[in-house]
Amino acid sequence: MPEPLVARSPLRAHVAPPASPAGEPGVVLREVPDLTLASVAALKGREAELTQAVSSAYGVDLPDGPKRVSSGAVSFVGVGPGKWLAASTVGTDFSGLPAAVADQSDGRAVFRLSGPKARETLATLVQIDLHPRAFQRGDAAVTHAASIAITLWQVGDEPTYEIVMFRTYAATLWRWLVEAGRSRGIDARLGG
Amino acid sequence: MSQSNRLAAGGLIDRASTIDFTFDGRRYAGHSGDTLASALLANGVKLVGRSFKYHRPRGVLTAGSEEPNALVELRTGARREPNAKATVAELYDGLEATSQNRWPSLAFDVMAVNQLAAPIFVAGFYYKTFMWPAKFWEKLYEPMIRRAAGLGRLSGEADPDSYEKITAHCDVLVIGSGPAGLAAALAAGRSGARVILAEEDFALGGRLNSDRRTIGDKASSAWAAEAAAELASLPEVTVLRRTPVVGVYDDGVYAALERVSDHLREPAAHQPRQRLWRIVAKRAVLAAGALERPIPFGGNDTPGVMLASAVRTYLNRFGVAPGKRAVVYANNDDAAATIADLAAAGCEIAAVIDARGDAPALHAAARAAGASLIFGGAIARAYGGRSLKGCEIVDGRGRGFKVECDLIAVSAGWNPSIQLTTHLSARPVWDDRLAAFLPGARPVGMEVAGAAGGAYGLGEALAAGAKAGAEAAEACGFAAGAVDVPATDPEPGDTHGRGPWRSPVKRGKAFVDFQNDVTVSDVELAAREGFKSVEHLKRYTTLGMATDQGRTSNVLGLALMAEITGRSIPETGITAARAPFTPVAIGALGGAHRHKEFRPTRLPPSHFWAEEQGAAFTETGQWMRAAYFPRPGEKDWFETAVREVNTVRTAVGVYDASTLGKIDIQGADAGVFLDRVYINAFSSLAVGKARYGLMLREDGVAMDDGTTTRLGETHYYMTTTTANAGGVMRHLELCKQWLWPELDVHFSSVTDQWAQYAIAGPRSRDVVAALVDEGFDVSNEALPYMGARELTVCGGVKARLFRLSFSGELAYELAVPARYGDAMIRAIIKAGEPFGICPYGAEALAIMRIEKGHAAGPELNGNTTAADLGMGKMLSKKKDFIGRTLSGREAFLDPERPSLVGFRPVDRSARLRSGAHFVPRGETPSAANDQGYMTSTAYSPSNGHWIGLGFLARGPERMGEIVRAYDPVRGGDIEVEVVSPVFVDPEGARLRA
Repeated sequence: MPEPLVARSPLRAHVAPPASPAGEPGVVLREVPDLTLASVAALKGREAELTQAVSSAYGVDLPDGPKRVSSGAVSFVGVGPGKWLAASTVGTDFSGLPAAVADQSDGRAVFRLSGPKARETLATLVQIDLHPRAFQRGDAAVTHAASIAITLWQVGDEPTYEIVMFRTYAATLWRWLVEAGRSRGIDARLGG
Repeated sequence: MSQSNRLAAGGLIDRASTIDFTFDGRRYAGHSGDTLASALLANGVKLVGRSFKYHRPRGVLTAGSEEPNALVELRTGARREPNAKATVAELYDGLEATSQNRWPSLAFDVMAVNQLAAPIFVAGFYYKTFMWPAKFWEKLYEPMIRRAAGLGRLSGEADPDSYEKITAHCDVLVIGSGPAGLAAALAAGRSGARVILAEEDFALGGRLNSDRRTIGDKASSAWAAEAAAELASLPEVTVLRRTPVVGVYDDGVYAALERVSDHLREPAAHQPRQRLWRIVAKRAVLAAGALERPIPFGGNDTPGVMLASAVRTYLNRFGVAPGKRAVVYANNDDAAATIADLAAAGCEIAAVIDARGDAPALHAAARAAGASLIFGGAIARAYGGRSLKGCEIVDGRGRGFKVECDLIAVSAGWNPSIQLTTHLSARPVWDDRLAAFLPGARPVGMEVAGAAGGAYGLGEALAAGAKAGAEAAEACGFAAGAVDVPATDPEPGDTHGRGPWRSPVKRGKAFVDFQNDVTVSDVELAAREGFKSVEHLKRYTTLGMATDQGRTSNVLGLALMAEITGRSIPETGITAARAPFTPVAIGALGGAHRHKEFRPTRLPPSHFWAEEQGAAFTETGQWMRAAYFPRPGEKDWFETAVREVNTVRTAVGVYDASTLGKIDIQGADAGVFLDRVYINAFSSLAVGKARYGLMLREDGVAMDDGTTTRLGETHYYMTTTTANAGGVMRHLELCKQWLWPELDVHFSSVTDQWAQYAIAGPRSRDVVAALVDEGFDVSNEALPYMGARELTVCGGVKARLFRLSFSGELAYELAVPARYGDAMIRAIIKAGEPFGICPYGAEALAIMRIEKGHAAGPELNGNTTAADLGMGKMLSKKKDFIGRTLSGREAFLDPERPSLVGFRPVDRSARLRSGAHFVPRGETPSAANDQGYMTSTAYSPSNGHWIGLGFLARGPERMGEIVRAYDPVRGGDIEVEVVSPVFVDPEGARLRA
């Protein structure tokens, strides 16, 4: 009998170097491991059924547009017309929803970026407007960090962002964030 | 050395701080707040550089980024930067500057003999002089000219500094911080709008710091300082100093270059040298001011000849007297301020020459300064060589006399800085009253205020700026309200400068474009030789083509051409600028994305394990793929790859196939959809089965191939080639969203979700059987060739197992969630050890696919059809699909069209080369006899000789025929035999075993 398989992060120090600031961190970067993620697309003619199912199962009103709506451990992020990214911190199985559901728990990696310089750090990679007048907690965007496709949303006001990318880009995006964050006092540590 | 020309008081410099710097190795001292130019002038250094073509001595002409003359090399070693403008370079402690374009020294430059040969260096001299013999151009003339001309030297070393790119959004972007810019920023900023004020100088204020004006009850420089302090206090206002806006783009996007660390010896820790801003602004106010024009006269490039506005800047802002005895040469009333400022600084004014007739404003100023005033006069010639000694003046009645002086202040009116209004190709318009080009149509969202819009007066500029700033903020939904415009002291009079455009007396070289050494005579020559269009003038004489973008020369050259050809200026042409406004280093455009980081690197799930194995990697697009896994004693990749192939063919190997594109497809119409994008049917595919599919472009050319598996009634799993994964996803989305929106079908990229390993070789079933959990049968009966099933491995990890083979052997592809990818490859190797497993890389894979005749990138090359690839029979006749109609084009049905076959060398020891063309035996290699080309070649360990794939006219009918493979590029010309493209196991028995 082969040994059980061990889950590993896509990050290692030699491709995703940690960084610590001299003083108070201006920006903090962490990987968010173990999220359950699924892409959810409404089937033709069954949109209302999906809305009803999500509402009754998770207490979430599916957002119409680039927003993130959460309830407890489960959240849904609007990523396109009739498309959502479902996320859960407690291993929720989304495959029973009346929709086209694809597991993305391993297809994506998630970073959390926070601190007073988080917005400025992101501005070196992301071209959309993240000023509080334009983007607030609960807002989401499907965009690019330089040439890397990402989905991001804001979860806190200090501010805190969560950034979702394809897993195989994680090490590169980590390096780019650390590079941008060096002059802004970045605290970046692997493994939480 | 003492700062002999520093005034005793005044200026915006910090006299308490002394800064040491060197120029050409000599030590000097300046103050914080100086530019290199102001510090050199303070130290009495007038000779700063040598000119581009004639190596003439040059000094400082201006006090800004329009400077054509005072170009130096800054810094040393890897940070050496050529062509830095001394008028922009901020002084810092330890600054090292070196003059350029001279040998052996600035004072004595051997190449100055070029002046003696000046008659041949006129406009167009390249074209006239170096025509014959033709081959001498590359070998002799051009290298010679390049050595003699040119300006600074690059360091030749890697740039040690970093650069950053950043995006900022705002309501109002204000470009320039003179009176109009500050007023605009204040009006918009006070309303609460998000404002960015970008100023290329390190100080805010523009000419408020250069002229002695009064706003309200304050000196203009004090008002500027107060405005700057208020802007700094507004939370939504960002002030960017040392940041020229260099380009205007569609949709309110502006590029600006922040020189973050150029004023430091080297950047502070982790700070970039420069930062390129991409500013997205709802509205913009261009308040870039205006630049003064020179008047060409003989010797007007002698160090000591300076624009009058620059003279005032050095006097008032830097506390430097650029000369002790001055001549003022002007055609407008602005000279009054120059006369007054020179007199106030204690400079003697030898003469004031008004190129016009009598002008009352100059009368009073000259009288007050005790200067003699010459109406309708001109400077015929300045003299002094390396430092101005005097000038020959001709008065209004034609009488000539000499005046000794060490400074000539020249003023011929103003050119509004409208360059940014023309970046989106709007044309400026000529204004006769101002004798200047004004902005024509503005880019959407941009307003122009102050001198840039022709409002030269201080009061006008403040009012126009405040109005534009307030309106811009209002347009963004902010209440700006009424704006108070403070009172100003009386304006200087008529400063427009409507000519004459040059000294009427011709004596010696009179320069129009200082940086490119273009003279009035060159413009005349161009006119004589028919290059009368402003575009021809520019290209024939190089006028305006230097790094200063002809800031001081373009309008002048145009005006001269108009005068010479008897046309008006608008008839002659217009000048429009392109981005960038000032030179931008390539490093800044790249930002942090250089070297390996110029694009992302994708690491497949086995990457870290492969690194541990000492794998050699190859880049495939963004992917880092293991190319081969060398073992001790193997001498090169070839030996390793051959061993890997042999292991797969005789035992078992494992390969990370995760880089293939993987697309999850669901929906009631998924099958119908696939039928339409593939040439063959997928709606009829049984659940639990995989099928090879080929998709075409709309034009009938093959686009991509791969296998698609039916996982459920409405659920498919598509794989694509590594290279085309993104393109196929785009294609599918286009088909769904645009062509067939009525279909119920949904895609999700799962490329990164699954770590997918190919386990191939006669012992692969043994390895797979050792990994799958109990209860799952992987026998040939339970999982036949092209079968697929979902199961669990290694104690409960969900997995997908496909019976697919690219190598041609009995083979599986095992997919597990990517987080287990690293552990999975280790488990496969461990389970495979008893069966002799080895990992294999992209090299071995490439060999095996050629041995099996599988098409890949070289065959799916954007020119080939399904029939060319030998898949004509797969084209379904029962359904419609993308590319079907155009597959039936006459040219595609031509029986002579080359199609895919295999080749082997007649001399089995010969090597085949991709790219060789096929020519019938005995025929001359020519385009007419070309029958196709070799696309892929490899040494086949299974056959013991080289094999090839290629496209040959009527290839499948010519099995056994010998043709020539002609490869003139590498000198190859060998005979090859046409054979089946399948070199290993043609019956396919092994993969069905």
